[in-house]
Amino acid sequence: MSKELKPDQLLDKIDHTPSCGNWMDTPVHIRPGMYCYAAKAESVETLGLPNARPWNPTDDDWKLPENWKEIIHNAIKERLERFRTFKIFMDICVRCGACADKCHFFLGTGDPKNMPVLRAELLRSVYRNDFTKAAQILKMIPGGEKLSGGRPMTLDVLKEWWYYFFQCTECRRCSVFCPYGIDTAEITIMAREIFNLLGLNIDWIATPISNCYKTGNHLGIQPHAFKEMIEFFTDDIEEITGVNVEPQFNKKGADILFITPSGDVFADPGTYTCQGYLILFKYLKDKYGLDVTWSTYASEGGNFGFFTSHETMKRLNAKMYAEAKRLGVKWILGGECGHMWRVIHQYMDTMNGPADFLEEPVNPITGTKFENAKSTKMVHITEFTADLIRHGKLELDKGRNANRIMTYHDSCNTSRGMGLLDEPRYVLQNVCDNFFEMPSNTIREQTFCCGSGSGLNAGENMELRMAGGLPRANAVKYVHEKFGVNTLGTICAIDRAALSTLMEYWVPDVKVYGIHELVGNALILQGEKERETDLRCDPLPGMEEEEDE
Amino acid sequence: MDINQQLELKKEEILKKWFESTINSYPEDTAKFLKKSKNQFDNPVGSATLQSLENTFRAILEMNISKNYKYSQDIVEQNKIENALDPVIRIRAVQNFSASEAVAFVFELKNIVKSTIGKLNDQNSLEEFKGSSSYELFEHKVDLVALAAFNRFMKCRENIFLLKATEAKRRIHSAFERAGLVTELNENELVGSSKS
Repeated sequence: MSKELKPDQLLDKIDHTPSCGNWMDTPVHIRPGMYCYAAKAESVETLGLPNARPWNPTDDDWKLPENWKEIIHNAIKERLERFRTFKIFMDICVRCGACADKCHFFLGTGDPKNMPVLRAELLRSVYRNDFTKAAQILKMIPGGEKLSGGRPMTLDVLKEWWYYFFQCTECRRCSVFCPYGIDTAEITIMAREIFNLLGLNIDWIATPISNCYKTGNHLGIQPHAFKEMIEFFTDDIEEITGVNVEPQFNKKGADILFITPSGDVFADPGTYTCQGYLILFKYLKDKYGLDVTWSTYASEGGNFGFFTSHETMKRLNAKMYAEAKRLGVKWILGGECGHMWRVIHQYMDTMNGPADFLEEPVNPITGTKFENAKSTKMVHITEFTADLIRHGKLELDKGRNANRIMTYHDSCNTSRGMGLLDEPRYVLQNVCDNFFEMPSNTIREQTFCCGSGSGLNAGENMELRMAGGLPRANAVKYVHEKFGVNTLGTICAIDRAALSTLMEYWVPDVKVYGIHELVGNALILQGEKERETDLRCDPLPGMEEEEDE
Repeated sequence: MDINQQLELKKEEILKKWFESTINSYPEDTAKFLKKSKNQFDNPVGSATLQSLENTFRAILEMNISKNYKYSQDIVEQNKIENALDPVIRIRAVQNFSASEAVAFVFELKNIVKSTIGKLNDQNSLEEFKGSSSYELFEHKVDLVALAAFNRFMKCRENIFLLKATEAKRRIHSAFERAGLVTELNENELVGSSKS
């Protein structure tokens, strides 16, 4: 009892210093290293999106259309009517703060405006001011505007929106903790749609979508170059295994169409994952006669349109079903990617379906029905491979990956977006002996984002990427120090690129691998020679000395 | 009682104050959270900061040097301090801090020690204590830590720019390679500068 404070002692402890101000009064400072460059005018023009012109986020004048406030007001109104979720999310937040400390950008940058509740409040405050009765009544009372939590739209508010809605990777970790199930990613999606009505996209998104619209993939690779790159991998694989994996392109009447992000074809270390797919398809063809074709038209699984607007996403996605129809395949198999799968799993069927010209996917080798893909007709490659392994259909030599001490990063979109949690782990544990999970509050549904998703994997915002990726890197560092983990496995093309750089800054001894790269290493092809190296041309475990001689 | 013994005695109180003053460099709402959450995965910045400050403080206690010691004199000693500081500096190097703001927390240690150990000295007045040679040596050590912090901050910033450059080089190189313009160059040679 004596330790309890008396009322006057308690009163003495109250800090009467006013806090340093309301968040609304803290002006935005667009800091280099934290933002991405503005979209190039020509890229905006390709898709016929409005207000294409050169502009710079750090300039005072953003060269907005004269009626920009009206455009924003109408855009919010239209979206409130069109998307019930958006309307509900605008109204029901009670600002309990459960999400506040769950965002990797808040945890890494320490900027309170990156608390998901506050980031959403940036938009919600304008919604309240413009669209709620309460705010309109309260505005009549002196000081009432602040009581309603509303504020009018100004240029500073727009700049604040732009700065912070491009500091959200739409990863949806915050939504896991929201007692109301508010999906802050959808609020970011709406904000970014509004930016596109004013010509305020970033170039790391605008140029890839422009390329994709023109040539079929984000990197703007033309069909012959796409084919040549895969043939180049074929040569590499032949050198390592002695087997020509003979990829097929645009083959009419094949069983399965395979679509993967173009990053797998053109960006290291994704290219090694791509070689893993090629080895797997060769194995299945030789052993079971499975006929898989690549497409030089549907040469992109990723869809940066998703980070632009629903319409752009739909336009870029359309080629998947179109190509499957043209080739007359039974169903579609998709490669290792993150946001590609959110688009496929949650939007493709309603946007560009029904794909009634395709069959409900069944693995012809095992007879497994992929019930979850019944409607979309598209199966994730780790589900497919996990099924093959479960039925003992693959001959694997784990020893070839014995030098890989693994942990696994759940990509936000595949884990939270589609519940793909155990299949990648199952594959991994069947091709590697050493696997250690990161702590439970950093994996599966609670996984931390790489910090570079949703089109933020540019170079100029490196500080943002490194800060946003800190919670993920921190968990990797822990298993690296505790278990000697040297390899971070993942099933996302952006992760493979982004995490490699992230590791170089925070945990330089850890390398990033795709799951099918490890499958490619372990899988024993018919007629292969004794392999001396892995797909990266590094000596296999036990072959190091021979290499030195 | 010499200053090292006093620092050891008051270690917990000093560290608590040092941690709080470092965390108070963040906006108020953030600081509240960083101080509160103890889980190292839910609160990586708070926990890495605390750990790093503890290690740095231990390095100061273990530093066996004279007043005339110059910063780069002993590479082992230098690495020990820089490694202890690395986690906290590595984080602050990518956050919204200027260079001076990022390393300012080191100098705070002097004031914290003055106010904490000053109280402890019943025999001597604070002024006398501050004038003592052992206190001067302690201040010299803090200055060395400040230099180490500045060194490490620069290394982290260089690292960031190198990462930017390496990503850009890889990107451009693969474009050239696709166009068949650099068949004789291999990518590792081109980006090899990142290893140096």
